[in-house]
This record gives sequence, structure tokens and C-alpha cells, in this order.
Amino acid sequence: MSEHGRYDAIVAGAGHNGLTAACYLQKAGLRTLVVEKNDWIGGAAVSRSLTPGWTYSNCSYVCSLLRREIVRDLDLPRFGLQVIPYEGGGSFTRDGRHFGYYADPAQLRRELRRHSPRDADAYQRYSRTILRQCRFIRPFLLRPAPDPLSARPRDLGELAFLLKRAHGLGSRELGETIRFWTASIGDFLDEHFESDLVKAHLAGSGIIGTGLGVYSPGTAYVLLHHYMGDVDGAIGAWGFARGGMGAISNALAAAFEEAGGTIRTGAGVEEILVDDGKVTGLALSDGAEFRAPIVASNMDVKRTILRHTPRAALPEDYLRAVERFKIRGSSAKLNIALDGMPEFPAAPPGASFLRGDLHCSESLRELERAYDDWKRGRWSDEPYFDMLIPSQIDPTMAPPGKHMMTVFIQYAPYELEAEGLRAAGNWTPERRQAMAETVLDKIEVACPDIRRRIHHMEIRSPKELEDEVGLTEGNIFQGELTFDQLLFNRPVPGYARYDTPVKGLYIVGSSAHPGGGVMAAPGANAAREILHRIGRAGNMPDLAA
Amino acid sequence: MSARYDAVVVGGGHNGLVAAATLARAGRRVCVLERADRLGGMAAGGAFPDGTPMPRIAHLLYNLSPAVLNELGFGAGGPVETRALPTVCLDPEGRHVVVRDGSPVLADGRPHPEAEAYRRLAARLVRFGGLLARLADAPPPQVSERLADLAGMRRLGPLAALGWDFRKLGRGDRREFLRIVLSNAHDVILDELSDGPLAGSLAADAVRGAWAGPRAPGTVFSLMYRLARGGGAALPLGGMDAVIAALADRARSLGAALRTGAEVTEVRVEGDRACGVRLADGEEIAAGAVLVATAPGAAMRLAGPAHYDIEAVRRLRNMRAKGTAAKLNLRLDGLPEVPGLGPELLGGRLLLAPSVEQVERAFDPVKYGRVSEAPVIEAVIPSLTDPQAAPHGGHVLSAIVQYVPHAPEGGWTGAARDRLRDVALAALETALPGLSARVTAAETLTPSDIEAATGAPGGHWHHGELSLDQLLTVRPVNGMARYRFGPAGHYLCGAGAHPGGDVMGAPGRNAARVALADATAGEAAA
Repeated sequence: MSEHGRYDAIVAGAGHNGLTAACYLQKAGLRTLVVEKNDWIGGAAVSRSLTPGWTYSNCSYVCSLLRREIVRDLDLPRFGLQVIPYEGGGSFTRDGRHFGYYADPAQLRRELRRHSPRDADAYQRYSRTILRQCRFIRPFLLRPAPDPLSARPRDLGELAFLLKRAHGLGSRELGETIRFWTASIGDFLDEHFESDLVKAHLAGSGIIGTGLGVYSPGTAYVLLHHYMGDVDGAIGAWGFARGGMGAISNALAAAFEEAGGTIRTGAGVEEILVDDGKVTGLALSDGAEFRAPIVASNMDVKRTILRHTPRAALPEDYLRAVERFKIRGSSAKLNIALDGMPEFPAAPPGASFLRGDLHCSESLRELERAYDDWKRGRWSDEPYFDMLIPSQIDPTMAPPGKHMMTVFIQYAPYELEAEGLRAAGNWTPERRQAMAETVLDKIEVACPDIRRRIHHMEIRSPKELEDEVGLTEGNIFQGELTFDQLLFNRPVPGYARYDTPVKGLYIVGSSAHPGGGVMAAPGANAAREILHRIGRAGNMPDLAA
Repeated sequence: MSARYDAVVVGGGHNGLVAAATLARAGRRVCVLERADRLGGMAAGGAFPDGTPMPRIAHLLYNLSPAVLNELGFGAGGPVETRALPTVCLDPEGRHVVVRDGSPVLADGRPHPEAEAYRRLAARLVRFGGLLARLADAPPPQVSERLADLAGMRRLGPLAALGWDFRKLGRGDRREFLRIVLSNAHDVILDELSDGPLAGSLAADAVRGAWAGPRAPGTVFSLMYRLARGGGAALPLGGMDAVIAALADRARSLGAALRTGAEVTEVRVEGDRACGVRLADGEEIAAGAVLVATAPGAAMRLAGPAHYDIEAVRRLRNMRAKGTAAKLNLRLDGLPEVPGLGPELLGGRLLLAPSVEQVERAFDPVKYGRVSEAPVIEAVIPSLTDPQAAPHGGHVLSAIVQYVPHAPEGGWTGAARDRLRDVALAALETALPGLSARVTAAETLTPSDIEAATGAPGGHWHHGELSLDQLLTVRPVNGMARYRFGPAGHYLCGAGAHPGGDVMGAPGRNAARVALADATAGEAAA
């Protein structure tokens, strides 16, 4: 006998956005159920123990974008969330040089001068611009996207907010903002700096998670998308969630359950049930069926609509729009259990930046080439990676004296080319291993003893990310962050308010505005929209205020 | 000291000529100074060793501004007689596609399987391009510090006109415009068409002259820019030289003086006001205004960086202009027999861009200073359409070859140049077998040669990349978008200014109108 039940709202997928939406719906008085296909919750914000004694943040791995308004409002620290800032980062070269991106301004300036006195001066200008752009964009994150084509009073209000902010910049600054939003990170850095290594170090954030190269227009915005967060109010700072990224999901889940919500794991969505243009509930893969007039999908828009919603319930042009929504797998990951701290012979002894993000890319050219490989369906010969050893700061991640390393890899295609064919099925264990060896070879540039230190290693191609987490093509943002898929175009033009043509069905994950990253803004914004549509907007605090 | 003019125009390319004619038509005394021995800049012609005219750099017309034609009294027919050319998308496999009036058919006459999808896409892009063209005939919109004042409102005028046209689009079109306007050509094309020569040709049109592959966001904008006047391409009878001659005649008949071999080395500035120019031979010409048709960086250097604030200097120095288009001009003693392509099709605009993917792949090497081994080519054989193109018999083939770096690794040695010619010929040979055997003379112009001949930085034919961060309100750079360029009385009227390059004439016309408005205001105040 399969399980049945009736709720006011069901959230499909227990990722951080789904859980955030669930918290707000439940707290607004809706009996809410969260269903999750995996036996664990968290989506891509998880802590997993794959070898005894070690914890991996095996998908997302650092925290900054999580909106502090949400952290405060849901009182997540009370449920165990603790974000520990980490300091700076560094890049290493094959010929034994390094660049330390120190958090201390004076030290950073000295380090920049060591590479180029001119760059040390340019950095002031650069960081001022970035900070200004962050300040400009942050107020938009917890509001729906302004839609220039809607005449609804609420949309006009958002548009007026945008115009007011834009006009407030003044014409000169507005021009700079337009340039920044449309520039490539490569061109932007070339305008400021002369040192290849400094440029390569700063460029990484412009490409992480995207199917774009450092010289693709729009990547300066992607950089911003990684910088617009904060840790304890320090804009642009990054930190580790103590106990791994799962701590975020666990805190959200605990807040949800304390408010009276229910989480059910182990069975995913089979079908979103629709009757007469209205959503009526969910059928799950284990045969269970739950009824609710509201279904909030944390799955990406393609998965939600194309796999789980009856085609007949949707207009043709909407289906077309979802089909052409671009979700491109471009990243892979290594999660490594180390039986000791690897050596970084090129770094000054005890360098604080080793506790930050480490890279071995030497020039923008090298980064662009890595992108060219991806376009041809191959993993990069000289991949960019973002490598961290969080156990230096958070001892809960590994046994005493041991360490945990997370290596985010760009680029790795979802459809791997092999024998003239591009297919996700080409990601055989052998090829996955070969990709890992390519990455390890490059890590040896920074730590020659890395291979000897490996106790256990998990290799995740875009295919595994898709299979396990459910992210289409393993794309970490649930959709490319390009102009045609941002703001009022995200995820589908005309449906940027988290809604769909099916009444009661909402998209609440990173496919929706403002997009990916462990930010929780789409989930919170979607909850507000849902509550507004059922006349209960007053039951949710105004986070944007 | 020679005569005093109301205005001098530095640079006798088509924009300089249009600016001069526009000023002269308003009764101003104006003089054009061109460094080279012939007028025309990028549109100037040349000659093969046997005297046959050579379409040196530019070879087709597709974007002439109707406002320019109208105001200079050319009428809708344009300054010279033209012939519309079909576009022929060459296929190495022999399944060539012919596009006439936005409709594709296979070269053997059979219907193209994706004709309907292509028609829809092309028509939409042309429609959207027409919308953008509204912005071309006025200075770019600008948000004033004080929205409330009248001048500030007027600066938003073009935007209001655009908004009006925009409203007339259907709701679906409006949504689609806002979705794709900042998008990349690769996605927008391949969302509608399967990859092949037809899709590839559209992608090639999106990136012609650009330092960008079709995957780069912003390439849909450049495609719309190109299609703004309907998407057709026309061959001017008598070549681009005839276009230049007609513009020059018109300027002259309106009273403008045109001088060649007159190199301006300095724009003279007194009391933060441009007051004339100095030539290489020391001659000084006094003028109430100076309009400069060179690239923005060069225009700044003529007046002297001291007259620009440090931010402006920095921005101008950072303006991107990396040309990627080379020219190959061939003198042929006859035409090869190409199966499936009769003389009528061979006389079309021949596009060698076998797929969107291959256009993107052709772009990759140029990023690292190398020439593409499988270049994308736009070729025309004007002598098949225009008897004046090869008066001594035989034929002429003019090819734009992409992607070619401005500064390759190792520099443009003789060997590198020969290699470029061979690579381009080999590529043409794949679709036009037997072509090489017909070549009696060849001229290869690298982006670096084009820079030397015309002064365009990087040999870039738009005087600066036509990318989203260098368009409209921020073209050429932020804060200098409305043609006034540094000191009072100094104006930028070349392709580096809004709306940009191509043989369009809009920057020249718009800048001249701003200069005229300023002069009138000055006279009223005095």
C-alpha cells in the first residue's frame, strides 16, 4: 500500500533553495512537505563521509553568497551554522614563482609590488570598481527581477527601483557599470594589470561554473556573481561552513522541522500531477502520491518541465523556451582525503594564503586555451582549478593531523568527445581517472608530494554531478549566467516571477533569478511570490528592507 | 598661413567626406585633408600591376545610411548604381545554398529543408536590426545627471523613438528581442537551424571583422547591426571607388575643398579650443572647428593628451581594436569550371563558412597570434557582374579572409604573408577547385597592412571592436560618446564613434550635425 497525504505545499528537492522556500512557506502557515530523491538532503550543499574519518563538501565547497538577511531571519546559527572566513589565496607557476593574494591590505600591496609596482596601484582602482559594482547589485538579489515588458503595478515598482538606482549612479558611473556588465573578465583585467600571474589569479572567478572563456563578454559579471557575497558583512570575503557545506542544508532543514515541516527522503519526483491547468500534487518514484495546490520545484527548469511535467499541460512556446534554456556542464571535482598536509615548497614558510584558494594557472592565455579544449568536447589539457584545504581551519573535516582537499576543475564537458562522438556516456571510469591524473599532474606544480599524500580520492565528472545531485549536465548554476538568461529572462522570458504556465507550479532553484551559487535568494524570493499569490504576503518578513 | 575655414575635416574616408558634405550643405566653409594620395580610406580602390582596378579593402555595400543619402540628395538609389548579389553559402561537399531576399534554396534548385526556419530567423533579425537602426541616425542616448532639465530629456530622445517602434512589435517579438539582443550568434542560430553552411554563413556575417567567435555574447547585436538595412549586399558598379568619387563630387559641388597628400600632424588648441591644424610640411590651417575621422586614439594624439583628463586618456588607450580580417585580391585570367555553380551564382557573395562550429574554431588560433588554417572567407568576383571591374578581360576576385592576427607570433615576414595567401587560396580551392591555376597576380593585405594604409588601429575596420562594452553610450569610450572630443570645437567623426563602422556614413553625418549645432549656439551667444 503506497503512501498518500495532503499538504498545503510540496517542495520537490531538498537543496538549499528548496529548503529555504520550504522554511518560509511553513512559517507563513502552510503545511509543507519536502521530498528528496537521495537518502540525504542538501542537493549540492552537502557534507558526505565517503571514507571513514573524513568529511567532503563534495559539491559546493565554500560559502559567501548565502544572503545574510536569510541567515539572520531564519536564525541559522542557532541550528548549527557557523561560517569561518578564510584568508586570501595564491597561485603557483611551473618555474617556482608564486603570487600570494593576502587578505591584509598592506601585505597584499607589498606582494603586488613584488610582481609589478604598477599593478599595486592599479589594484586600488580595480577593487574600488568591484566593490562599487557589488554595492550596486546587492539590493537586487532579494527582489524579483524588474520586467520592462510588464505593466503590472508590482513589476512597474521593481522597474522604478532599478531606474532610480541606475539614475542615482550618475551618467559617468552608469557608463562604467554598463561597460562592466558587458565586458569580459580578460579585457577588464588587461585594462588594469600587466602581470600575467596576477591577472590569472584574479580571472578564475569570472569563469567558474560557466561555458564561457576569460575573453567571452559577460564574464566580468560572472566574477561579480562570485564576489557579491560576504562573510559577516565583509563584502567579497569567502568562508567555510564548519562541518562542510552540508551544515547550511542541515541548519535550514532543522529550522524547517522546528517550524513543523516534514522532510521525506529516498524517493524523487516521478511526475508532477496536473489537472485542468492546475498542479494537484506529486507522484514519487516509490509509488507514493502527495496532494497539494502548490508545488515548488527546486530542480532546474529543464528537469522540472521536460522530464516531470506532462507536456500536454504546457503551451508549445513555453516548452520551446525551456528546451533552448542553456545549461552547460563545464566543471568537475576532485575530493581528496590526505594523510598529511602537502608541502608547498614555493610558498614562504607558514604563508597564511595557503589556507585560502590555490591555483596553478599562469596567464589569461592559458585559461582561454582551457576553454578552447572544452569547446571541442575535451577536458582541459591545462585545467584551471580552485583548490582548498579547509581542514586547516575546520578540524572537523579530517582526523587529527590529516587533511581534506577540495579541487574544483574548469573545464570538463558533459558530453565528452571520444572516437569522434560526443556523449555523456563517454565518461567511463578510465577516462574519469585520466582527467584526474591530468589535474594531479598540474597540482604537482604547487605541491610535488600530492600523489603520495592521497588516502582516498573521489572524482566527479559533470555526469556524476548530474546523476547524483540531479543538476542537468552537472551545471552548478542550474543554467548559464549569460545576459539572455539573467534577470527578467531567467529562466523563461515572461515567467521570471518563479511561476510557470501551470497554476501552482513554481521554479524555486538556481534556474530562477538571481541565479546560482549557495545564495538561497531564489528560494526566498520564490516563497514571497507564492505567498503573495495566495494573499499571504504579510506572513513573510520583508528581507529586502 | 593660408585661408581660414569654418571647419576642417581630418581624413578623407567616406565618413570624412560625409561630414564635409553635411557641413558644406549648411553653408559652412570646409576643407578635407587626406594623408594618402587618394581619397577613400578603407573604401579607396587600387590597381593590379596590369592596371585592372582592384577593390582594395571594402568591396560591398549593405549599410549605407538612408539619412545620409537623403540629406546629400542622392535619393534612395544611392550615390552609384548597384546590383544586389545573392549570397552563396559554399559547401565543401558541394551542397551549396543560395540565399536571395532572405530565402534559401539549394544551388541545384531543390528546396532547402530548413528554408522556413531560416526565413523566420532572418526576417526576425532584420526586423530587430531595423529597430536598432533607429539609433544610428542620432547621437547615442545618454542619461543626464539631471533628468528633469530639457536638454537632458532631449538626449533620451532616440531612446523614446526606439521605444515607440519597440511597442509596435508584437508581444512575442518584444520578449524575443530582449532575450537575444545581448546574446551570442552560436546559440541563436543553432536554436533554429542545424549546423551547416547556411547556419555557418549567418555566423560568419555576425563576426565579420570582429575579434570574436560566434559563441561570444554580443555577436547577435553585431549580426543585427549588419542586417539593419534588410540584410542584402550590393555591388557598386565601378567599385567602392565610384562610391567615394560620388561622395567627393557631392562635397565639392556643395563647396568643400578636398586635399590629398595633406598629412595633419597636429590639431592646434588654444585656450582649450581647437583652432586649426598643422600639416606635416609645416603649413597651418585655421578653422573654427576640427572634425577628425581617424580612430579615437589617433584623434586624441593629434590634439595632445594634455587636453584630456587622465580618465579619458586611460579609457581611450584601453579601447580594443584588434583587427582579424585580411584581404586577398586576385587577378584571374579566367574562371574555373565549378560544378553546380554557374556564372550567375559565382557572381554572388560567396561565403565559405561550412558550419557555426568551424567559424568558432577558425577564431581560436587568432587569440594566440596565429592564422586560422581553415579561414572563413567572404569573396566576390565583381567582374562577373560589373563590366568595368575587369576592362582588359579576365576576372577579379576579392576575398575577406578571417581570422588573421594583427600581430602574429614572429611578425608579418614575407614568408608569413605568403603562407597567409596559400592558406586562403587552399581554403577557396576546397569550394572552387582549379582557382589557383587561374591566378596571375595576387595582393595580400594583412591587418597590419590595413593599419599602415588607413591608420585604423590594429587594422580593425570599425576603428574599435564593435562589442557591447564599446557601443552606444560607451562608444568610443564612456563619457565621450556624443562626438565632442576633448577640447571645444574638436569632434570625432570616424567609425570609432557611434554607431560604428561599415560604409554607412552615420558617424560622419551625426558628428557634423553636432558641430553645426554647437557653431549655431556659439554664434547666437556672440
